[in-house]
Amino acid sequence: MFRAMLRKEFLLVLRDKHALAALFIMPSVFILIMSMALKDTFSSDRAFINYVVIDQDQTAISGELATLLKNNRLLKEYQLEITSEKQLQYALNDDLTFAVTIAPGFSTGLDSENTAIPLTLNVASDVQQNVLHLFKGELSGIITQLQIKSLLRKIEPAIPGISSKTDARLLDQSNLIQVQFNGLESSQFPTSTQQSVPSWIVFGMFFIIIPMSTIFISERRQNTLMRMNGMNISIPALFTGKIVPYMVINQIQVWLMVGVGIFIVPLLGAAPLTLGNSVAALFMVSTGLSLAAIGTSTLIAVSVNSVEQATTIGGILNILFGAIGGVMVPKFLMPPAMQSFSNVSPMSWGLEGFLDIFLRGLGTRAVVTESLALAGVGLLMLLLAWGILARRTGNGL
Amino acid sequence: MIQISNLTKRYRDAVALSQLSLKIGRGIIFGLLGPNGAGKTTLISILNGLTRFQEGDVKIFNLSLRQNIRQIRKRCAFIPQSLAFYDNLTVIENLRFFAGIQPITGQTLQDNLKRAISVNRLQPLTNRKSSTLSGGEKRRLNIAIGLLTNPDILYFDEPTIGIDPESRNDILNTIRSFKNDDKTVIYTSHYMEEIEKICDEVAIINHGKIVHQGKLQDMLQQEGNNSAIIELHKSNYTQLNRISKAIAGLQVLNAETLLLSPQDSRVMAELLAILEREHISVRQIRYQSLSLESLFINLTGREKSDV
Repeated sequence: MFRAMLRKEFLLVLRDKHALAALFIMPSVFILIMSMALKDTFSSDRAFINYVVIDQDQTAISGELATLLKNNRLLKEYQLEITSEKQLQYALNDDLTFAVTIAPGFSTGLDSENTAIPLTLNVASDVQQNVLHLFKGELSGIITQLQIKSLLRKIEPAIPGISSKTDARLLDQSNLIQVQFNGLESSQFPTSTQQSVPSWIVFGMFFIIIPMSTIFISERRQNTLMRMNGMNISIPALFTGKIVPYMVINQIQVWLMVGVGIFIVPLLGAAPLTLGNSVAALFMVSTGLSLAAIGTSTLIAVSVNSVEQATTIGGILNILFGAIGGVMVPKFLMPPAMQSFSNVSPMSWGLEGFLDIFLRGLGTRAVVTESLALAGVGLLMLLLAWGILARRTGNGL
Repeated sequence: MIQISNLTKRYRDAVALSQLSLKIGRGIIFGLLGPNGAGKTTLISILNGLTRFQEGDVKIFNLSLRQNIRQIRKRCAFIPQSLAFYDNLTVIENLRFFAGIQPITGQTLQDNLKRAISVNRLQPLTNRKSSTLSGGEKRRLNIAIGLLTNPDILYFDEPTIGIDPESRNDILNTIRSFKNDDKTVIYTSHYMEEIEKICDEVAIINHGKIVHQGKLQDMLQQEGNNSAIIELHKSNYTQLNRISKAIAGLQVLNAETLLLSPQDSRVMAELLAILEREHISVRQIRYQSLSLESLFINLTGREKSDV
């Protein structure tokens, strides 16, 4: 019996071009686009904050400040000489992010005996707070270096040669901090691929809501379910005949998307996906997520009355789960209240599980809770769907 | 074969079937007629175990339906009015799927599959996608699925809706052939000529009750011998309705036609006298053998278009 049901369900999905596009092509394309789009955000090799220095001080120290900014790998100098206020406004409205104006007297102000002349920082209006803090931090570090140099020059007569001995160490701050990402080797950095693949796997898996509920509702409306009921097919048997093929489809999706991350993404210039330590953990999370998605689909399919309702509700639910669950906006960017609220979305649990595997390099033990929670929610929804369908069946489908 | 006693089915406050009793014998084609909402589909759903009922008893193969539903279903097939199969599968894929989910295997499965295909003349269509079939071919596939278990009882719920006359005849001949295999067919249809053509016995159901049941020929003879159609020249409904209240057995079929059933000469004389008094002239009186349609109107008080 199950063989016939599995075969039927596979044939129906395979012959539905829209379903195939939603299940396999759409998430794969998402992974490619997002990995490419975010490639530079996670890269340590390319600057992504641009700036310009307007040096009205024109001293050796102001020149040194400009040089130190230029040597910073996070920052990129804007290739335009700003000569007027109007030009500055125009550039900031265009694609300039920061303008540092060194006012006359800034260099002498560094000396504690004189009044400090502050730098003026003009900022484009669309700059995020975290980027502003980052730039201010870099600038503060440079000012501190210049202040120390100024101090060293002052005490040079008392301790001859101190300036030249200290200078190199002070200028090369990069060696003072060793960055170690949790779960990665000391030389490794998280890449855009590691960050984006988990999100789109989760999102893609939930897209089975649409083909699954569409087929189910067509079966109900055409009385195929009623016919099967008359052939002694019980609701648990009917559900099993649906759960198994869609779990297999979800597994194919997961491995296809992992394959895209490993083999296709590097061809387009982004970093390849690395699988982490545990294939078993990946299987656990994806199975739990699959059950949650199938439970949601089944509940929708037995609750609504038309394919149009199912595709609308399924689509909206998918996007809402994704938005709340951190698929579209990473959870760490959300305010604390929103981060707590995001835990209501099963996608959030699945995403955490995948991030544990792909990003944090953790194994089965770390993903047990998420996997069980997802499976539990899926089974609960299936039970609810069973109850609703049993009631409908008793009264005629 | 099927014995229904005092069956009552209620949907909340609405009574769909009320104290309905019926006996259907083995190896016959049994027609179930009734207007929309009369309870035909509810009755068929109950017999298939698809709808629960509150009161009464149903026995099929001498087994109580309540206690032996799974066992009974194995020997019955329901061919629904809708085309209950998968458009995106081919004919043979549909048949294999519905055969595969039932407890038939091996040679029996192969034999039943072959028979379902040949009886419904689906051989040239087996590899065609079901969505590309004509209306009649789809109906034949719908029936073929019902034959996969070689059932003893077949329930047909209006199986010829929306198809051309040729395909309709084709399907009716197929259904009639089931009698030769000693199968019992329960048949509901909107088309009374179909019922007249293929059914051995008929039950007319109205407001959830059986208003008439019997062998079709007996019913028609019994009622037909005593009926007369009176065609009038000029009249109006108000007048005719008033007259129909005064004469027992008189029904207004339309503004120019009356049906007197049963008729006898004394009642006919009385009617003619009233018509004369009301200045309504009679064009023609036909004493006829009643058709099933007239009988249906007679018993349910509804026109065919209401069925």
